[in-house]
Amino acid sequence: MTAASAPIEIAQLRKVFRQTTSGQSITAIDHLSLRIEPGELIAIVGKTGCGKSTLFDLLIGLEHPTAGSITIGGKTPYDDFNAFRGKIATIFQQDRLFPWRSALDNVKLPLELIGIADDVQQERALTWLKRLGLEKFANAYPRELSGGMRQRVAIARAFAVQPEILLADESFSALDEVTANELRKTFVDLAREFKSTAILITHQLEEAMAVGDRIVVFGKSATLLADVRMSDWDRADYPLLREAIQNTLQANVPDARLRR
Amino acid sequence: MISSLPRETIISIVLFAMVWQIMSYLAPSLGIPAFAIPGLGRIAESLTKITPLDVAVTLGRVLLSLVVSFVIGLLVAVLMYLSESLEKYLRPMVRILMAVPVVSWILFAVLWFKGVEFRIVFVLVVVCAPVFTVDSLDNMREVSRDLKQMIRSFRPTPLQFFHKLMLPAITPGIITSWKITLSLAIRVVTIAELVGAVTGIGHQLSVAQELFSVADVFAWTLVLVVLLFFLEALLVRLETHVLRWRA
Ligand SMILES: Nc1ncnc2c1ncn2[C@@H]1O[C@H](COP(=O)(O)OP(=O)(O)OP(=O)(O)O)[C@@H](O)[C@H]1O
Ligand SMILES: [Mg+2]
Repeated sequence: MTAASAPIEIAQLRKVFRQTTSGQSITAIDHLSLRIEPGELIAIVGKTGCGKSTLFDLLIGLEHPTAGSITIGGKTPYDDFNAFRGKIATIFQQDRLFPWRSALDNVKLPLELIGIADDVQQERALTWLKRLGLEKFANAYPRELSGGMRQRVAIARAFAVQPEILLADESFSALDEVTANELRKTFVDLAREFKSTAILITHQLEEAMAVGDRIVVFGKSATLLADVRMSDWDRADYPLLREAIQNTLQANVPDARLRR
Repeated sequence: MISSLPRETIISIVLFAMVWQIMSYLAPSLGIPAFAIPGLGRIAESLTKITPLDVAVTLGRVLLSLVVSFVIGLLVAVLMYLSESLEKYLRPMVRILMAVPVVSWILFAVLWFKGVEFRIVFVLVVVCAPVFTVDSLDNMREVSRDLKQMIRSFRPTPLQFFHKLMLPAITPGIITSWKITLSLAIRVVTIAELVGAVTGIGHQLSVAQELFSVADVFAWTLVLVVLLFFLEALLVRLETHVLRWRA
């Protein structure tokens, strides 16, 4: 797997959507600046509708910034769409597997898009299914798998391309708590093992604190309310930190205790 | 195949045959000319005189036209999917095409084209291709946004996008379109063959009509219906195989 080499640089990023029906404009992201170092594990928390998924769409290159920029190693995900093939992988909230493909063939999909040799595809997809404990279900269709197993396939699919950047948008929140914890741990372990940059969007503060090297708190329109480095805090102060972040989210202004 | 039919189906066919046979006995006493309702024996005799070549020719025309319709129909649908403005121009045209009666197409074909084969294929394609276009376009529009986003996040080329996602996603719809166009084509081909063709089931039907042979008309019609059922059964088998992931 390729370790992430380039930082993600977000500068004065703005994204405005024009609603086709009402003609109204929605500012989903308003002048966001953020720098994410290679290999960092970041959790993004924020209220619903604050622009978290929109940021992912921009990182993935599905949307074009209204103003400002996102650059990764000097290239932009939207304009240099092809340059990032195989470099960014996303795990969504729902597994988003192709129902007509077996588990194995679902993991193979991104490998087919990169265009590597057939036997390598087969071998690598199998390896990843094994790592996620699904080798017995390689030929099963998604409808034959449980929700947790399907999400495992989705994780295998994301890691199989050996991406430098991993994006997870509430990837574990649709699962029961035990399964969610287990898969989250797998995700973090793998991301660390392969030194990928990983960004996890979550609603749950517990999850953010369990995962991140860094917690980024978004207010309305993805304004940066707080940017917390976990290493700056003692474990003993975690309850305080949790309270401060919660307060920040609620009040939509940075809590004074977060300034360190 | 017959053994797989439900009992009710077999009973209703047998009942129909019995009523028909009784009617053919009673016809003279009811003042109906005897040739109008020939007995089952007479029909069986006509069936033995079915010429396989004509069946094959009609089948060939139907299949060729359906393949051409499918390719054209799908291509147009993809273009309409890719370009919204093209869709706005083409949609009314497609709807007009679908509203024109088959008989009008046959007359146009006779007036415009010389070749008999070309006329038949033209009529079938102009009737069937729009069905493929409209259905495929609707099906493509219904492909889940989530799946589109997911595959886009892995950065496919436009060709890969269609080949890996769109085509498999609309396959169930395509099979349904084939079922619709198949029965459409089987019914339209005979009318098209009535005009100018010297082979095919439609031609044989017109010969039978000139000879006032109800038995022959009945026999050829029966062949047509059985042919349609047979092809539909093949499609259903294909469907269960291709869509086994759904079961
Ligand atoms: N394609 C779009 N067209 C128009 N408006 C959009 C579009 N995508 C997002 N928005 C709007 O932008 C805002 C931010 O949406 P976004 O999905 O990024 O929020 P989110 O933080 O991911 O929320 P959640 O936690 O509920 O997933 C919302 O008001 C949403 O309605
Ligand atoms: Mg979201």
